Amino acid sequence: MVRAPAHPAWQTPPVTPRAPSPPDLAVWTDGLGRRFGERWAVRELSLELQRGEVFGLLGPNGAGKTTTIRLLAALIAPSAGQARVDGLDLARDADGVRARVGVLTEAPGLYEKLSAARNLDFFGKLQGLAPAVRAERIERLLRLFDLWDRRLEPTGTFSKGMKQKLAIARALLHDPPVLFLDEPTAALDPEAAAVVRDAIGTLRGQGRTIVLCTHVLPEAERLCDRIGFLRTTLLRVDTPARLRTAVANGRVHVRLTGPASPDLLSAVRADAGVVEAGAATDGLVAELRDADAGTPALVRSLVAAGASILEVRREAATLEEVYFEVMGARADTESAA
Amino acid sequence: MRIAWVAAVLEREAAELLRNRLLLLSILGPPIVIVVGPVILGKLVAGRPLPVGLTAGLVAGRPEWAALSPGDLAAAYSFQQFLLFFLMLPAFIPLSIATFSIIGEKQSRTLEAVLATPIRTAELLAGKAIAAAVPGIAGGLIAYLGFAGLVRALYGPALFAIVSAPDWLAATFLLGPAIALLSVVLGILVSARANDPRTAQQIGAVIVVPLVAVVIAQAAGRFLVDATAYGLAAVAVLLLALAGLRAGTWLFAREAILTRWR
Repeated sequence: MVRAPAHPAWQTPPVTPRAPSPPDLAVWTDGLGRRFGERWAVRELSLELQRGEVFGLLGPNGAGKTTTIRLLAALIAPSAGQARVDGLDLARDADGVRARVGVLTEAPGLYEKLSAARNLDFFGKLQGLAPAVRAERIERLLRLFDLWDRRLEPTGTFSKGMKQKLAIARALLHDPPVLFLDEPTAALDPEAAAVVRDAIGTLRGQGRTIVLCTHVLPEAERLCDRIGFLRTTLLRVDTPARLRTAVANGRVHVRLTGPASPDLLSAVRADAGVVEAGAATDGLVAELRDADAGTPALVRSLVAAGASILEVRREAATLEEVYFEVMGARADTESAA
Repeated sequence: MRIAWVAAVLEREAAELLRNRLLLLSILGPPIVIVVGPVILGKLVAGRPLPVGLTAGLVAGRPEWAALSPGDLAAAYSFQQFLLFFLMLPAFIPLSIATFSIIGEKQSRTLEAVLATPIRTAELLAGKAIAAAVPGIAGGLIAYLGFAGLVRALYGPALFAIVSAPDWLAATFLLGPAIALLSVVLGILVSARANDPRTAQQIGAVIVVPLVAVVIAQAAGRFLVDATAYGLAAVAVLLLALAGLRAGTWLFAREAILTRWR
Protein backbone atom coordinates (compact mmCIF):
# COMPACT_ATOMS: atom_id res chain seq x y z
CA MET A 1 0.00 0.00 0.00
CA VAL A 2 1.23 3.47 -0.86
CA ARG A 3 1.47 5.61 2.24
CA ALA A 4 2.34 9.20 2.89
CA PRO A 5 5.90 9.51 4.20
CA ALA A 6 6.50 10.24 7.89
CA HIS A 7 7.79 13.71 7.01
CA PRO A 8 5.57 14.92 4.20
CA ALA A 9 7.18 16.78 1.38
CA TRP A 10 4.95 19.80 1.80
CA GLN A 11 5.90 20.29 5.43
CA THR A 12 6.69 23.97 5.84
CA PRO A 13 7.19 26.43 8.66
CA PRO A 14 4.11 27.01 10.82
CA VAL A 15 1.47 29.12 9.16
CA THR A 16 0.81 32.43 10.85
CA PRO A 17 -2.33 34.47 10.31
CA ARG A 18 -1.92 37.72 8.44
CA ALA A 19 -4.40 39.68 10.51
CA PRO A 20 -5.68 37.94 13.64
CA SER A 21 -9.38 38.56 13.99
CA PRO A 22 -11.45 38.64 17.14
CA PRO A 23 -12.13 35.84 17.73
CA ASP A 24 -8.93 34.34 16.29
CA LEU A 25 -10.53 31.60 14.27
CA ALA A 26 -9.63 30.02 10.96
CA VAL A 27 -13.17 30.43 9.69
CA TRP A 28 -15.90 32.53 11.24
CA THR A 29 -19.30 33.12 9.70
CA ASP A 30 -22.33 34.90 11.03
CA GLY A 31 -25.68 34.42 9.32
CA LEU A 32 -23.96 33.78 6.00
CA GLY A 33 -26.31 33.10 3.14
CA ARG A 34 -26.53 33.02 -0.60
CA ARG A 35 -29.64 33.34 -2.69
CA PHE A 36 -30.06 32.55 -6.39
CA GLY A 37 -33.17 34.37 -7.51
CA GLU A 38 -35.85 33.58 -4.96
CA ARG A 39 -34.19 30.39 -3.77
CA TRP A 40 -31.72 30.29 -0.90
CA ALA A 41 -28.90 27.84 -1.62
CA VAL A 42 -27.42 28.48 1.83
CA ARG A 43 -28.86 30.56 4.63
CA GLU A 44 -28.20 31.51 8.24
CA LEU A 45 -24.85 29.77 8.28
CA SER A 46 -23.08 30.58 11.53
CA LEU A 47 -19.89 28.69 12.11
CA GLU A 48 -16.64 28.90 14.03
CA LEU A 49 -13.72 26.74 12.98
CA GLN A 50 -10.58 26.56 15.08
CA ARG A 51 -7.15 26.59 13.49
CA GLY A 52 -6.02 23.08 12.67
CA GLU A 53 -9.55 21.75 12.81
CA VAL A 54 -10.86 19.32 10.24
CA PHE A 55 -14.51 20.08 9.73
CA GLY A 56 -16.74 17.74 7.77
CA LEU A 57 -19.67 19.09 5.84
CA LEU A 58 -22.27 16.42 5.18
CA GLY A 59 -25.51 16.71 3.32
CA PRO A 60 -27.38 15.40 0.30
CA ASN A 61 -26.79 16.64 -3.23
CA GLY A 62 -28.12 20.18 -3.55
CA ALA A 63 -27.80 20.83 0.18
CA GLY A 64 -25.52 23.82 -0.40
CA LYS A 65 -22.11 22.29 0.30
CA THR A 66 -20.48 23.52 -2.89
CA THR A 67 -22.10 26.94 -2.50
CA THR A 68 -20.72 27.10 1.05
CA ILE A 69 -17.24 26.31 -0.20
CA ARG A 70 -17.56 28.87 -2.98
CA LEU A 71 -18.68 31.48 -0.46
CA LEU A 72 -15.84 30.76 1.96
CA ALA A 73 -13.26 30.64 -0.85
CA ALA A 74 -14.42 34.09 -2.03
CA LEU A 75 -15.55 32.72 -5.37
CA ILE A 76 -19.05 34.12 -5.01
CA ALA A 77 -20.36 36.93 -2.87
CA PRO A 78 -22.79 36.33 -0.01
CA SER A 79 -26.35 37.63 -0.19
CA ALA A 80 -26.50 37.92 3.59
CA GLY A 81 -24.29 37.73 6.65
CA GLN A 82 -20.57 38.11 7.06
CA ALA A 83 -17.50 35.93 7.25
CA ARG A 84 -13.79 35.96 7.94
CA VAL A 85 -11.35 33.39 6.64
CA ASP A 86 -7.86 33.26 8.16
CA GLY A 87 -8.55 36.65 9.67
CA LEU A 88 -9.54 38.28 6.38
CA ASP A 89 -12.97 39.71 5.73
CA LEU A 90 -14.61 38.03 2.76
CA ALA A 91 -16.36 41.16 1.61
CA ARG A 92 -13.37 43.50 1.94
CA ASP A 93 -10.45 41.31 0.86
CA ALA A 94 -11.62 38.63 -1.52
CA ASP A 95 -8.27 38.56 -3.35
CA GLY A 96 -6.48 38.08 -0.03
CA VAL A 97 -8.82 35.24 0.93
CA ARG A 98 -8.21 33.49 -2.37
CA ALA A 99 -4.47 33.66 -1.76
CA ARG A 100 -4.91 32.09 1.70
CA VAL A 101 -7.14 29.17 0.81
CA GLY A 102 -6.68 26.07 -1.29
CA VAL A 103 -9.69 24.67 -3.09
CA LEU A 104 -10.20 21.19 -4.44
CA THR A 105 -13.16 21.59 -6.74
CA GLU A 106 -15.79 18.94 -7.35
CA ALA A 107 -14.22 18.08 -10.73
CA PRO A 108 -10.40 17.90 -10.99
CA GLY A 109 -10.51 20.64 -13.65
CA LEU A 110 -7.15 20.02 -15.29
CA TYR A 111 -5.90 21.12 -18.69
CA GLU A 112 -5.81 17.73 -20.32
CA LYS A 113 -3.55 18.58 -23.24
CA LEU A 114 -0.90 19.90 -20.87
CA SER A 115 1.42 17.83 -18.70
CA ALA A 116 1.05 17.47 -14.96
CA ALA A 117 4.08 19.68 -14.36
CA ARG A 118 2.80 22.33 -16.76
CA ASN A 119 -0.61 22.33 -15.09
CA LEU A 120 0.95 22.93 -11.69
CA ASP A 121 3.34 25.51 -13.08
CA PHE A 122 0.42 27.49 -14.53
CA PHE A 123 -1.49 27.47 -11.25
CA GLY A 124 1.72 28.33 -9.38
CA LYS A 125 2.04 31.42 -11.55
CA LEU A 126 -1.57 32.37 -10.83
CA GLN A 127 -0.75 32.09 -7.13
CA GLY A 128 2.15 34.48 -7.67
CA LEU A 129 4.87 32.00 -6.72
CA ALA A 130 8.44 32.74 -7.80
CA PRO A 131 9.94 30.35 -10.40
CA ALA A 132 12.33 28.68 -7.95
CA VAL A 133 9.58 28.17 -5.36
CA ARG A 134 7.26 26.79 -8.03
CA ALA A 135 9.82 24.30 -9.26
CA GLU A 136 10.63 23.10 -5.75
CA ARG A 137 7.00 22.70 -4.67
CA ILE A 138 5.93 21.06 -7.91
CA GLU A 139 8.63 18.43 -7.49
CA ARG A 140 7.78 17.81 -3.83
CA LEU A 141 4.07 17.46 -4.45
CA LEU A 142 4.41 15.33 -7.56
CA ARG A 143 6.78 13.01 -5.72
CA LEU A 144 4.48 12.90 -2.72
CA PHE A 145 1.52 11.86 -4.84
CA ASP A 146 3.61 9.43 -6.83
CA LEU A 147 3.21 11.37 -10.08
CA TRP A 148 6.78 12.52 -10.60
CA ASP A 149 7.62 9.84 -13.17
CA ARG A 150 4.64 10.92 -15.27
CA ARG A 151 5.08 14.65 -14.82
CA LEU A 152 5.70 15.28 -18.53
CA GLU A 153 2.69 13.32 -19.78
CA PRO A 154 -0.57 15.07 -20.73
CA THR A 155 -3.06 14.79 -17.89
CA GLY A 156 -5.65 13.56 -20.38
CA THR A 157 -3.85 10.21 -20.26
CA PHE A 158 -4.16 10.00 -16.44
CA SER A 159 -6.60 7.80 -14.54
CA LYS A 160 -9.33 9.45 -12.45
CA GLY A 161 -7.33 8.80 -9.31
CA MET A 162 -4.19 10.37 -10.74
CA LYS A 163 -6.16 13.42 -11.82
CA GLN A 164 -7.64 13.77 -8.36
CA LYS A 165 -4.21 13.53 -6.74
CA LEU A 166 -2.90 16.17 -9.11
CA ALA A 167 -5.86 18.42 -8.28
CA ILE A 168 -5.08 18.03 -4.57
CA ALA A 169 -1.44 18.87 -5.28
CA ARG A 170 -2.67 21.99 -7.07
CA ALA A 171 -4.71 23.02 -4.03
CA LEU A 172 -1.59 22.69 -1.85
CA LEU A 173 0.79 24.43 -4.22
CA HIS A 174 0.73 27.82 -2.49
CA ASP A 175 0.87 26.30 1.00
CA PRO A 176 -2.55 27.61 2.14
CA PRO A 177 -3.50 27.67 5.84
CA VAL A 178 -7.13 26.85 5.01
CA LEU A 179 -8.18 24.09 2.65
CA PHE A 180 -11.57 23.37 1.15
CA LEU A 181 -11.81 19.85 -0.18
CA ASP A 182 -14.91 18.91 -2.13
CA GLU A 183 -15.14 15.10 -2.30
CA PRO A 184 -11.36 14.51 -2.19
CA THR A 185 -11.50 10.73 -2.38
CA ALA A 186 -14.52 10.44 -4.67
CA ALA A 187 -12.74 8.96 -7.67
CA LEU A 188 -9.83 7.31 -5.96
CA ASP A 189 -8.91 3.67 -5.59
CA PRO A 190 -8.45 2.45 -1.99
CA GLU A 191 -4.68 2.97 -2.03
CA ALA A 192 -4.88 6.50 -3.41
CA ALA A 193 -7.74 7.30 -1.02
CA ALA A 194 -5.55 6.14 1.87
CA VAL A 195 -2.75 8.45 0.71
CA VAL A 196 -5.18 11.36 0.59
CA ARG A 197 -6.65 10.57 4.01
CA ASP A 198 -3.17 10.31 5.52
CA ALA A 199 -2.26 13.57 3.84
CA ILE A 200 -5.31 15.29 5.32
CA GLY A 201 -4.30 14.06 8.77
CA THR A 202 -0.77 15.39 8.27
CA LEU A 203 -2.04 18.74 7.05
CA ARG A 204 -4.15 19.09 10.17
CA GLY A 205 -1.02 18.43 12.25
CA GLN A 206 0.63 21.40 10.55
CA GLY A 207 -2.01 23.77 11.85
CA ARG A 208 -4.03 23.94 8.66
CA THR A 209 -7.75 24.10 8.80
CA ILE A 210 -9.63 21.79 6.48
CA VAL A 211 -13.25 21.87 5.43
CA LEU A 212 -14.10 18.52 3.95
CA CYS A 213 -17.24 17.83 1.93
CA THR A 214 -17.83 14.14 1.54
CA HIS A 215 -20.49 11.52 1.09
CA VAL A 216 -18.20 8.84 2.53
CA LEU A 217 -19.46 8.79 6.11
CA PRO A 218 -16.73 6.54 7.58
CA GLU A 219 -14.18 8.91 6.06
CA ALA A 220 -15.83 11.89 7.71
CA GLU A 221 -15.96 10.06 11.02
CA ARG A 222 -12.32 9.08 10.80
CA LEU A 223 -10.91 12.40 9.63
CA CYS A 224 -13.10 15.10 11.09
CA ASP A 225 -12.88 16.73 14.50
CA ARG A 226 -16.40 18.01 14.03
CA ILE A 227 -19.14 17.36 11.55
CA GLY A 228 -21.83 19.71 10.33
CA PHE A 229 -25.01 18.47 8.69
CA LEU A 230 -26.10 20.90 6.04
CA ARG A 231 -29.36 21.22 4.20
CA THR A 232 -29.53 24.86 3.12
CA THR A 233 -28.79 25.72 6.73
CA LEU A 234 -26.64 23.96 9.30
CA LEU A 235 -28.89 21.48 11.07
CA ARG A 236 -26.46 20.15 13.66
CA VAL A 237 -22.74 20.49 14.43
CA ASP A 238 -20.78 18.37 16.87
CA THR A 239 -17.99 15.84 17.22
CA PRO A 240 -18.66 12.46 15.62
CA ALA A 241 -18.65 10.77 19.03
CA ARG A 242 -21.19 13.14 20.56
CA LEU A 243 -23.42 12.98 17.49
CA ARG A 244 -23.47 9.19 17.62
CA THR A 245 -24.21 9.11 21.33
CA ALA A 246 -26.88 11.77 21.08
CA VAL A 247 -28.81 9.94 18.41
CA ALA A 248 -28.64 6.62 20.26
CA ASN A 249 -29.39 8.38 23.54
CA GLY A 250 -31.60 5.76 25.16
CA ARG A 251 -30.05 2.54 23.88
CA VAL A 252 -28.17 0.38 26.40
CA HIS A 253 -26.42 -2.88 25.64
CA VAL A 254 -26.21 -5.32 28.58
CA ARG A 255 -23.74 -8.18 28.20
CA LEU A 256 -24.69 -11.21 30.24
CA THR A 257 -23.07 -14.59 30.87
CA GLY A 258 -25.59 -16.04 28.46
CA PRO A 259 -28.55 -15.08 26.23
CA ALA A 260 -31.42 -13.28 27.94
CA SER A 261 -34.28 -15.63 28.82
CA PRO A 262 -37.92 -14.68 28.07
CA ASP A 263 -38.53 -14.27 31.81
CA LEU A 264 -35.62 -11.90 32.13
CA LEU A 265 -36.86 -9.85 29.16
CA SER A 266 -40.33 -9.71 30.72
CA ALA A 267 -38.83 -8.42 33.95
CA VAL A 268 -36.90 -5.74 32.09
CA ARG A 269 -39.96 -4.66 30.09
CA ALA A 270 -41.89 -4.27 33.33
CA ASP A 271 -39.47 -1.50 34.35
CA ALA A 272 -41.20 1.87 33.91
CA GLY A 273 -38.08 3.45 32.40
CA VAL A 274 -37.78 0.88 29.63
CA VAL A 275 -39.44 1.56 26.30
CA GLU A 276 -38.46 -1.68 24.61
CA ALA A 277 -36.11 -4.58 25.22
CA GLY A 278 -34.87 -7.38 22.99
CA ALA A 279 -32.46 -10.28 23.16
CA ALA A 280 -28.96 -10.04 21.76
CA THR A 281 -26.52 -12.87 21.13
CA ASP A 282 -24.54 -12.01 24.26
CA GLY A 283 -27.31 -10.48 26.41
CA LEU A 284 -29.94 -7.88 25.70
CA VAL A 285 -30.47 -4.40 24.30
CA ALA A 286 -32.88 -2.05 26.06
CA GLU A 287 -34.27 1.24 24.81
CA LEU A 288 -34.64 3.58 27.80
CA ARG A 289 -36.64 6.75 28.11
CA ASP A 290 -33.60 8.42 29.67
CA ALA A 291 -30.33 6.50 29.62
CA ASP A 292 -28.74 8.49 32.45
CA ALA A 293 -31.66 8.06 34.87
CA GLY A 294 -32.83 4.66 33.66
CA THR A 295 -29.59 2.67 33.56
CA PRO A 296 -29.17 2.19 37.37
CA ALA A 297 -32.82 1.10 37.65
CA LEU A 298 -32.36 -1.31 34.77
CA VAL A 299 -29.31 -2.85 36.43
CA ARG A 300 -31.27 -3.25 39.69
CA SER A 301 -34.14 -4.95 37.84
CA LEU A 302 -31.74 -7.33 36.12
CA VAL A 303 -29.94 -8.22 39.33
CA ALA A 304 -33.29 -8.74 41.07
CA ALA A 305 -34.31 -11.08 38.24
CA GLY A 306 -31.13 -13.11 38.79
CA ALA A 307 -29.12 -11.97 35.76
CA SER A 308 -25.32 -12.24 35.79
CA ILE A 309 -24.13 -8.95 34.29
CA LEU A 310 -20.70 -8.73 32.63
CA GLU A 311 -20.94 -5.24 31.15
CA VAL A 312 -23.42 -2.38 30.67
CA ARG A 313 -22.65 -0.08 27.76
CA ARG A 314 -24.51 2.82 26.23
CA GLU A 315 -24.80 2.20 22.53
CA ALA A 316 -23.70 4.73 19.99
CA ALA A 317 -25.41 5.07 16.64
CA THR A 318 -23.44 4.83 13.41
CA LEU A 319 -22.81 8.06 11.58
CA GLU A 320 -25.15 6.82 8.89
CA GLU A 321 -27.93 6.53 11.48
CA VAL A 322 -27.11 10.02 12.70
CA TYR A 323 -27.21 11.30 9.13
CA PHE A 324 -30.65 9.87 8.48
CA GLU A 325 -31.88 10.98 11.88
CA VAL A 326 -30.78 14.58 11.27
CA MET A 327 -31.83 14.73 7.63
CA GLY A 328 -35.04 12.88 8.35
CA ALA A 329 -35.93 15.33 11.09
CA ARG A 330 -35.36 18.15 8.66
CA ALA A 331 -37.51 16.47 6.01
CA ASP A 332 -40.29 16.09 8.59
CA THR A 333 -40.02 19.78 9.49
CA GLU A 334 -40.21 20.75 5.82
CA SER A 335 -43.25 18.51 5.31
CA ALA A 336 -45.00 20.04 8.33
CA ALA A 337 -44.25 23.54 7.06
CA MET B 1 -3.96 44.78 -14.33
CA ARG B 2 -0.91 42.66 -13.57
CA ILE B 3 1.14 41.67 -16.60
CA ALA B 4 2.51 38.46 -15.04
CA TRP B 5 -0.99 37.02 -14.61
CA VAL B 6 -2.03 37.99 -18.14
CA ALA B 7 1.20 36.46 -19.47
CA ALA B 8 0.58 33.24 -17.55
CA VAL B 9 -2.86 32.87 -19.15
CA LEU B 10 -1.47 33.81 -22.55
CA GLU B 11 1.34 31.28 -22.29
CA ARG B 12 -1.01 28.47 -21.29
CA GLU B 13 -3.46 29.34 -24.06
CA ALA B 14 -0.62 29.22 -26.59
CA ALA B 15 0.63 25.91 -25.22
CA GLU B 16 -2.84 24.40 -25.51
CA LEU B 17 -3.37 25.83 -28.98
CA LEU B 18 -0.15 24.26 -30.21
CA ARG B 19 -1.35 20.87 -28.93
CA ASN B 20 -4.78 21.12 -30.55
CA ARG B 21 -4.18 19.74 -34.05
CA LEU B 22 -7.74 20.26 -35.26
CA LEU B 23 -7.78 23.88 -34.22
CA LEU B 24 -4.29 24.45 -35.53
CA LEU B 25 -5.27 23.02 -38.91
CA SER B 26 -8.39 25.18 -39.07
CA ILE B 27 -6.22 28.23 -38.35
CA LEU B 28 -3.33 27.46 -40.68
CA GLY B 29 -5.35 26.07 -43.60
CA PRO B 30 -7.35 29.15 -44.72
CA PRO B 31 -4.36 31.56 -44.94
CA ILE B 32 -2.57 29.19 -47.28
CA VAL B 33 -5.63 28.93 -49.53
CA ILE B 34 -6.18 32.68 -49.44
CA VAL B 35 -2.56 33.44 -50.36
CA VAL B 36 -2.18 30.85 -53.09
CA GLY B 37 -5.74 31.07 -54.48
CA PRO B 38 -5.67 34.60 -55.93
CA VAL B 39 -2.16 34.13 -57.29
CA ILE B 40 -3.27 31.09 -59.29
CA LEU B 41 -6.55 32.72 -60.26
CA GLY B 42 -4.69 35.79 -61.51
CA LYS B 43 -2.69 33.61 -63.91
CA LEU B 44 -5.85 31.87 -65.09
CA VAL B 45 -7.75 35.08 -65.86
CA ALA B 46 -4.79 37.01 -67.26
CA GLY B 47 -5.44 35.71 -70.78
CA ARG B 48 -9.15 36.53 -70.62
CA PRO B 49 -9.89 40.24 -70.81
CA LEU B 50 -12.85 41.56 -68.84
CA PRO B 51 -16.11 42.54 -70.60
CA VAL B 52 -16.01 46.07 -71.96
CA GLY B 53 -18.75 47.36 -69.68
CA LEU B 54 -17.05 46.04 -66.55
CA THR B 55 -13.69 47.42 -67.66
CA ALA B 56 -15.21 50.86 -68.18
CA GLY B 57 -16.83 50.77 -64.75
CA LEU B 58 -13.59 49.74 -63.03
CA VAL B 59 -11.50 52.38 -64.77
CA ALA B 60 -14.09 55.01 -63.92
CA GLY B 61 -13.81 54.06 -60.27
CA ARG B 62 -10.04 53.66 -60.29
CA PRO B 63 -8.48 55.88 -63.03
CA GLU B 64 -4.99 54.58 -62.22
CA TRP B 65 -6.10 51.15 -63.45
CA ALA B 66 -6.40 52.56 -66.99
CA ALA B 67 -2.65 52.10 -67.46
CA LEU B 68 -2.92 48.33 -66.92
CA SER B 69 -2.89 45.89 -69.81
CA PRO B 70 -6.17 43.98 -70.34
CA GLY B 71 -4.57 40.85 -68.80
CA ASP B 72 -3.27 42.78 -65.75
CA LEU B 73 -6.63 44.49 -65.34
CA ALA B 74 -8.36 41.10 -65.22
CA ALA B 75 -5.80 39.92 -62.64
CA ALA B 76 -6.20 43.15 -60.62
CA TYR B 77 -9.96 42.71 -60.63
CA SER B 78 -9.68 39.14 -59.37
CA PHE B 79 -7.16 40.19 -56.68
CA GLN B 80 -9.54 42.88 -55.54
CA GLN B 81 -12.18 40.28 -54.77
CA PHE B 82 -9.73 38.50 -52.48
CA LEU B 83 -8.94 41.57 -50.42
CA LEU B 84 -12.03 40.90 -48.33
CA PHE B 85 -11.00 37.29 -47.87
CA PHE B 86 -7.91 38.61 -46.13
CA LEU B 87 -10.32 40.28 -43.69
CA MET B 88 -12.04 37.00 -43.05
CA LEU B 89 -8.85 35.61 -41.50
CA PRO B 90 -8.91 38.05 -38.55
CA ALA B 91 -12.63 37.32 -38.30
CA PHE B 92 -12.47 33.53 -38.21
CA ILE B 93 -9.18 32.78 -36.47
CA PRO B 94 -9.94 34.68 -33.22
CA LEU B 95 -13.48 33.33 -33.23
CA SER B 96 -12.20 29.75 -33.47
CA ILE B 97 -9.59 30.24 -30.76
CA ALA B 98 -11.89 32.13 -28.37
CA THR B 99 -14.74 29.64 -28.65
CA PHE B 100 -12.47 26.60 -28.33
CA SER B 101 -10.71 28.21 -25.39
CA ILE B 102 -13.76 29.27 -23.38
CA ILE B 103 -16.05 26.37 -24.19
CA GLY B 104 -13.11 24.00 -23.75
CA GLU B 105 -12.69 25.35 -20.22
CA LYS B 106 -16.40 24.96 -19.59
CA GLN B 107 -16.30 21.35 -20.74
CA SER B 108 -13.20 20.42 -18.75
CA ARG B 109 -14.43 22.48 -15.76
CA THR B 110 -11.07 24.20 -15.32
CA LEU B 111 -12.40 27.71 -14.82
CA GLU B 112 -13.43 27.22 -11.19
CA ALA B 113 -9.91 26.15 -10.25
CA VAL B 114 -8.53 29.19 -12.09
CA LEU B 115 -11.01 31.53 -10.42
CA ALA B 116 -10.10 30.10 -7.01
CA THR B 117 -6.67 31.74 -7.40
CA PRO B 118 -6.02 35.45 -6.86
CA ILE B 119 -6.24 36.16 -10.61
CA ARG B 120 -8.59 39.02 -11.47
CA THR B 121 -11.20 38.29 -14.09
CA ALA B 122 -10.00 41.24 -16.19
CA GLU B 123 -6.56 39.58 -16.32
CA LEU B 124 -8.10 36.28 -17.34
CA LEU B 125 -10.20 37.99 -20.00
CA ALA B 126 -7.22 39.97 -21.27
CA GLY B 127 -5.07 36.84 -21.51
CA LYS B 128 -7.73 34.96 -23.42
CA ALA B 129 -8.57 37.91 -25.68
CA ILE B 130 -4.93 38.55 -26.60
CA ALA B 131 -4.32 34.84 -27.16
CA ALA B 132 -7.24 34.78 -29.59
CA ALA B 133 -6.74 38.15 -31.28
CA VAL B 134 -3.00 38.04 -31.93
CA PRO B 135 -3.00 34.91 -34.15
CA GLY B 136 -5.92 36.39 -36.11
CA ILE B 137 -4.25 39.74 -36.65
CA ALA B 138 -0.89 38.13 -37.33
CA GLY B 139 -2.49 35.57 -39.64
CA GLY B 140 -4.18 38.32 -41.67
CA LEU B 141 -1.04 40.42 -41.93
CA ILE B 142 1.35 37.56 -42.68
CA ALA B 143 -1.01 36.19 -45.31
CA TYR B 144 -1.27 39.62 -46.90
CA LEU B 145 2.49 40.17 -46.88
CA GLY B 146 3.03 36.70 -48.37
CA PHE B 147 0.45 37.40 -51.03
CA ALA B 148 1.92 40.81 -51.87
CA GLY B 149 5.38 39.25 -52.09
CA LEU B 150 4.13 36.57 -54.46
CA VAL B 151 2.37 39.17 -56.63
CA ARG B 152 5.60 41.19 -56.79
CA ALA B 153 7.59 38.15 -57.75
CA LEU B 154 5.14 36.59 -60.23
CA TYR B 155 3.27 39.57 -61.70
CA GLY B 156 5.69 42.49 -61.53
CA PRO B 157 5.54 46.05 -60.14
CA ALA B 158 2.30 47.18 -61.86
CA LEU B 159 0.11 44.65 -60.09
CA PHE B 160 2.18 44.90 -56.91
CA ALA B 161 1.26 48.60 -56.88
CA ILE B 162 -2.42 47.60 -57.02
CA VAL B 163 -2.20 45.21 -54.03
CA SER B 164 -0.10 47.65 -51.99
CA ALA B 165 -2.37 50.61 -52.70
CA PRO B 166 -3.88 52.58 -49.76
CA ASP B 167 -7.17 50.62 -49.90
CA TRP B 168 -5.33 47.32 -49.38
CA LEU B 169 -3.17 48.78 -46.62
CA ALA B 170 -6.14 50.38 -44.84
CA ALA B 171 -8.09 47.15 -45.04
CA THR B 172 -5.36 44.83 -43.78
CA PHE B 173 -3.67 47.12 -41.26
CA LEU B 174 -6.71 48.99 -39.86
CA LEU B 175 -9.92 47.11 -40.53
CA GLY B 176 -8.35 43.64 -40.07
CA PRO B 177 -7.22 44.22 -36.45
CA ALA B 178 -10.57 45.90 -35.63
CA ILE B 179 -12.43 42.89 -37.00
CA ALA B 180 -10.18 40.58 -34.98
CA LEU B 181 -11.11 42.43 -31.79
CA LEU B 182 -14.81 42.31 -32.63
CA SER B 183 -14.46 38.62 -33.40
CA VAL B 184 -12.91 37.96 -29.98
CA VAL B 185 -15.69 39.87 -28.26
CA LEU B 186 -18.29 37.95 -30.24
CA GLY B 187 -16.55 34.68 -29.36
CA ILE B 188 -16.70 35.54 -25.66
CA LEU B 189 -20.34 36.60 -25.79
CA VAL B 190 -21.43 33.51 -27.68
CA SER B 191 -19.25 31.09 -25.69
CA ALA B 192 -20.78 32.25 -22.43
CA ARG B 193 -24.05 30.67 -23.55
CA ALA B 194 -23.08 27.93 -26.01
CA ASN B 195 -21.67 24.59 -24.91
CA ASP B 196 -20.25 23.45 -28.21
CA PRO B 197 -17.46 25.29 -30.06
CA ARG B 198 -18.96 24.48 -33.48
CA THR B 199 -22.31 25.96 -32.53
CA ALA B 200 -20.60 29.03 -31.12
CA GLN B 201 -18.60 29.48 -34.31
CA GLN B 202 -21.70 29.16 -36.46
CA ILE B 203 -23.46 31.83 -34.41
CA GLY B 204 -20.34 33.99 -34.34
CA ALA B 205 -19.94 33.64 -38.10
CA VAL B 206 -22.60 36.34 -38.43
CA ILE B 207 -19.61 38.71 -38.34
CA VAL B 208 -18.72 37.83 -41.94
CA VAL B 209 -22.15 38.66 -43.35
CA PRO B 210 -21.28 42.33 -44.07
CA LEU B 211 -17.98 41.24 -45.60
CA VAL B 212 -19.68 38.75 -47.89
CA ALA B 213 -22.15 41.44 -48.94
CA VAL B 214 -19.28 43.71 -49.92
CA VAL B 215 -17.56 40.88 -51.82
CA ILE B 216 -20.73 40.22 -53.82
CA ALA B 217 -21.27 43.93 -54.56
CA GLN B 218 -17.66 44.36 -55.69
CA ALA B 219 -17.76 41.22 -57.81
CA ALA B 220 -20.86 42.56 -59.53
CA GLY B 221 -18.83 45.62 -60.47
CA ARG B 222 -21.13 47.94 -58.54
CA PHE B 223 -18.33 49.65 -56.65
CA LEU B 224 -14.82 49.28 -55.27
CA VAL B 225 -14.30 50.14 -51.62
CA ASP B 226 -11.58 52.75 -51.20
CA ALA B 227 -9.12 53.43 -48.38
CA THR B 228 -11.31 56.03 -46.68
CA ALA B 229 -14.24 53.63 -46.56
CA TYR B 230 -12.01 50.94 -45.01
CA GLY B 231 -10.72 53.44 -42.47
CA LEU B 232 -14.24 54.50 -41.49
CA ALA B 233 -15.32 50.86 -41.33
CA ALA B 234 -12.38 50.16 -39.02
CA VAL B 235 -13.50 52.92 -36.64
CA ALA B 236 -17.10 51.68 -36.67
CA VAL B 237 -16.05 48.07 -36.04
CA LEU B 238 -13.73 49.17 -33.26
CA LEU B 239 -16.53 51.10 -31.55
CA LEU B 240 -18.80 48.08 -31.89
CA ALA B 241 -16.09 45.86 -30.41
CA LEU B 242 -15.57 48.19 -27.46
CA ALA B 243 -19.31 48.24 -26.76
CA GLY B 244 -19.34 44.45 -26.92
CA LEU B 245 -16.33 44.31 -24.63
CA ARG B 246 -18.36 45.98 -21.88
CA ALA B 247 -20.93 43.22 -22.11
CA GLY B 248 -18.10 40.67 -22.32
CA THR B 249 -16.51 42.04 -19.15
CA TRP B 250 -19.83 41.72 -17.33
CA LEU B 251 -20.25 38.15 -18.59
CA PHE B 252 -16.69 37.37 -17.59
CA ALA B 253 -17.16 38.31 -13.95
CA ARG B 254 -16.13 35.57 -11.53
CA GLU B 255 -19.62 35.25 -10.14
CA ALA B 256 -21.26 35.14 -13.58
CA ILE B 257 -18.93 32.40 -14.80
CA LEU B 258 -19.58 30.24 -11.75
CA THR B 259 -23.31 30.73 -11.45
CA ARG B 260 -24.69 31.65 -14.86
CA TRP B 261 -22.47 29.86 -17.36
CA ARG B 262 -24.01 26.54 -18.33
